[in-house]
Amino acid sequence: MTSLRPQFAETISRIGNIDSDLFVVVGDISHGLLSEFRENHPSRYRNIGICEPAMISVSAGLNAAGFNPVIHTIAPFLIERSFEQIKLDFGYQKFNCNLISVGSSFDYVKLGCSHHSYIDVALIASIEDSKVFIPGSKNEFDTLFTDNYQSSGVKYFRLTENGHGFDGLTNDAVAGKNIVVRQGTEITIVTLGPSLRTAMAVSDMLEKDGISVEVIYVHSFKPFDANSILESVSKTGALVSISQLSTVGGLGSLCVNAISGKVLFDYLNFEIDSFIRGYGELEDLQNRANHSPEHIFSKIVTTFELRKP
Amino acid sequence: MLLNNELRLKIVNLATGAGEGHIPSSFSIVDLIDHVYGNVLRIEKNQANDLKRDYFILSKGHGALALYVVLNKYGFLSDEDLNSYGQRDSNLGGHPDRVSTDFVEASTGSLGHGFPFAVGIALGNQVRNYGNRVIALLGDGECHEGSVWEAANIAANQGLNNLVAIVDWNESAMQLMPIDMMAEKWESFGWDVIVIDGHSKSGLNYAFDLELLDGKTKPYAVIAKNIKGRGVPFLEGHGVWHHKIPNAHELEQIMEALR
Repeated sequence: MTSLRPQFAETISRIGNIDSDLFVVVGDISHGLLSEFRENHPSRYRNIGICEPAMISVSAGLNAAGFNPVIHTIAPFLIERSFEQIKLDFGYQKFNCNLISVGSSFDYVKLGCSHHSYIDVALIASIEDSKVFIPGSKNEFDTLFTDNYQSSGVKYFRLTENGHGFDGLTNDAVAGKNIVVRQGTEITIVTLGPSLRTAMAVSDMLEKDGISVEVIYVHSFKPFDANSILESVSKTGALVSISQLSTVGGLGSLCVNAISGKVLFDYLNFEIDSFIRGYGELEDLQNRANHSPEHIFSKIVTTFELRKP
Repeated sequence: MLLNNELRLKIVNLATGAGEGHIPSSFSIVDLIDHVYGNVLRIEKNQANDLKRDYFILSKGHGALALYVVLNKYGFLSDEDLNSYGQRDSNLGGHPDRVSTDFVEASTGSLGHGFPFAVGIALGNQVRNYGNRVIALLGDGECHEGSVWEAANIAANQGLNNLVAIVDWNESAMQLMPIDMMAEKWESFGWDVIVIDGHSKSGLNYAFDLELLDGKTKPYAVIAKNIKGRGVPFLEGHGVWHHKIPNAHELEQIMEALR
């Protein structure tokens, strides 16, 4: 499966050559990958050390001094460990930065829960004037970063090691605009970034059972395209959310909040509400999280059987 | 000899009027901040957003009143704004906020933020080769925060000779987790260190000799042996006065001591 990291390196390198304000700060990861940027612009690259909270505050200082910081390390250390520094030094102080995490929710399948992060997206989305992007393909990252890295506020780009593989369906990503990747009439499945793979497998199974599914793909968590959800659920009356974010402040609640009071609908949510312990392959962790396509499919079928008169 | 009776009187009056303020903490650092603005920083009144200005960052944000009265003294904050302190609709509250007030360089209040932020400004200025000075003031209690030492390491590793950290060593930390050998700690993190009396003109002149500052090859820590509440004996030290507002009688006693 595709890692988005090489695209990060390529995009940064390309922009770094034309934008002398771009300053890359890493927390002791990806220096091999970022070698092109580092060699071309040594004064604007720092491997700051293993000290994420100070790395964030120092980067706020870099922005105060006129640079546009790109801050990069593994999701839980970048966001969860350093959250108050992000909230105050960037959010409260109204400074700008680009946070680029790796590891997604549980890409580090062999390293355990210390390297997993489910709540990072909700945390950054809670900050005033922030933007949150969860690209699932290289092209999405390249486009979203290029279009948004100079805008105000905290921009969070959450990279995955496991791209969704439906790249042809998600080209031309635009902030705040969802993509309808499959049209249908009976159920709306909303999914996010790498979870598109699961959502497509589930919708294939449902279609085979004769259930017509609309799949809406989200790469832009904030700003969020509420209209596309409302339009689809108004038609189907059923909302299913599939993501690897925390149930608290995840994709499901985002969709529900966006359309509540406007339409009546049935609702099923597949997100993360506990540590996904243990090791193995991505599939093993997805199974433990009850996120296998088979499980999601049967849960949907059961629910919708119950709903039929 | 007490250096800044006038500024201390203003601090007490503002705190009393607003019913908010950390008076002893502000008394501990007002001489330092006054010296820095009066003798060290190069800022003009049209430079609020000029990247080449010198910077002062109050990392221990609860000493905000000391910063406000000094900004006012040097013309960076109007009398009207200063006198609005703590009132509804004022820009000035118990902790400083850069977004609402020009020449306030950082929005602090949570400890362990302003200092690493200052390290970033110094790093950016070093890369741009601006030659400006970045001075951060933090408390010895604040030195309990891990981010302070992360940033101290970073500053030394990056060779930030344009950076000064002033530690208001008034022994607040003594109450809970004493930090012994403050000077040795900063030295061991790769900083040039000096220990002075932060309430004496000669100590301040000695620490902030401009030739000395500009000749640094490392970041520079000024450990100021200060007295919390300095200037009014019954406010000195640690205890109830940390965040207390004087009543009319106590206010009279404080004014008396400062006259």
